[in-house]
Amino acid sequence: MPRETFQQELDGLISDLLELGEEVEASLENMVRAMEGRDAGIARQELGVDIRYKARGMDIERECMILQARQAPVAGDLRLLYTVQSVTNHLVRSGTLCEHICQAITETIDSERDEDLETALVEMARTARNVFNEGLDVFKNRDIERARDLQAKDDKVDLLYSEAMNLIANPSEGGGGAPEWRMRAALMVHYLERISDHGVDIGGSAVFLVTGQRIEDAMQQYLDRNVDYDGDGT
Amino acid sequence: METGKIREERRLSGVSKDQRDVRQGDDGAPPGEAPTLGMKIEDLSAFYGSFKAVTDVSIDIRANKVTALIGPSGCGKSTFIRCLNRMHEVLPGAHAEGRVMLGDQDIYAKTSDPVNIRRRVGMVFQKPNPFSKSIYENVAWGARINGYKGDMDELVERSLKHAALWEEVKDRLKESGHGLSGGQQQRLCIARTLAVEPEVILMDEPASALDPVSTQKIEDTMEQLKQSYTVVIVTHNMQQAARISDYTGFFYIENMGDPGRLWEFDGTEKMFSNPERKETEDYVTGRFG
Repeated sequence: MPRETFQQELDGLISDLLELGEEVEASLENMVRAMEGRDAGIARQELGVDIRYKARGMDIERECMILQARQAPVAGDLRLLYTVQSVTNHLVRSGTLCEHICQAITETIDSERDEDLETALVEMARTARNVFNEGLDVFKNRDIERARDLQAKDDKVDLLYSEAMNLIANPSEGGGGAPEWRMRAALMVHYLERISDHGVDIGGSAVFLVTGQRIEDAMQQYLDRNVDYDGDGT
Repeated sequence: METGKIREERRLSGVSKDQRDVRQGDDGAPPGEAPTLGMKIEDLSAFYGSFKAVTDVSIDIRANKVTALIGPSGCGKSTFIRCLNRMHEVLPGAHAEGRVMLGDQDIYAKTSDPVNIRRRVGMVFQKPNPFSKSIYENVAWGARINGYKGDMDELVERSLKHAALWEEVKDRLKESGHGLSGGQQQRLCIARTLAVEPEVILMDEPASALDPVSTQKIEDTMEQLKQSYTVVIVTHNMQQAARISDYTGFFYIENMGDPGRLWEFDGTEKMFSNPERKETEDYVTGRFG
């Protein structure tokens, strides 16, 4: 096949990306286990991953830039390189958020907690991890039909976000846990919601890669959005 | 919203939606200048004797835009553009069928004068072919034999400026055109074409024999030319097509011995980012063959 070397370089790039994705998945798994078991030891394993993931992400982006400069990619090749850069960004950011959460776990391991809030947090962490893993799987298999279902799964994370934020803002009388833990919990809720969003975007990038349509669709959704500025449901 | 069927029909006919929506010649012209004419080609087929080299091409060439034609060797691109100014029929046994409209004139109508058509639809070839005359005479000659009565000095200067060559040759207009570099000779040929005041300029691989610097100058020239002319270029350099054209047509032969046909036609951005057809994708990404 013509451009065999170029194809091999593209395949190598995807392989590097998926390898990075698997490492981030492992970090998220540790994060969930640390939250489930209130285990600072597991959480501590993830401290420092941010720098490592950023370095890996820079390597992948550098390779993308070199391939663009040398091979002048167009059409499917161009979309692939664009998508690889985009997914790399999502992976690195998810890894960073994971480290932030693990940092919060280690720093509040002995703090008093609100059991209801902690239960919601753990459920949210599991769901966000699942959405992220599925997003990566959708990208890996270019399964654009499943990509359309990801948004619905992310909606569950959004519901848990609201539930957790409600518990943080309205702690039960005499409960609510230590203030420093509640404050960290609010941040963790936000980080988990972002991780889930990154998973949705990673899966969605497969749609763009395969059909070239994602950006236009996203723009149309943005233009068609029904923003409730008054908050009155109208 | 258009249906998939309409989209499919449009793609196969080589006519994109915004082309249908925009009347030829009513956009793109610089303020104060008369709009340039586009071309409308319907069911054009080209023959060499009994051999059909190109079949059933329908395409709108938009005014004041650059349309690039790409495709593998032997798929009929050059044959096709030679039909757009009746150069094809000059070869013994060659003829074309179908309709080619230049504005509202059918260039193959019995009342159409081929010489006049070739003045209105000029052509620049792959290899620079200046006359064995001075730079000035190379530009002035065509206009003179067409009976130009205006200020010839002004015409020569204007044509050389449009071809982005004036600054390089203004002090040696009496020197031979053959003394110029290859890139300069090609721009001289463009100036010569412009001097007879065409509406459409056809370019058949105009930069394929030039070095990168000269190629860049020709490409820059084309960007300027489309302000005042309609440009159609055949090129094997896909990056060149992507850089300079507004629309791109992909010519393709499905099976050995078949005539070439317009396989896909669309905006250049679309053709180089997300073409509709696999063969186009394979060709522009270099997976062809």
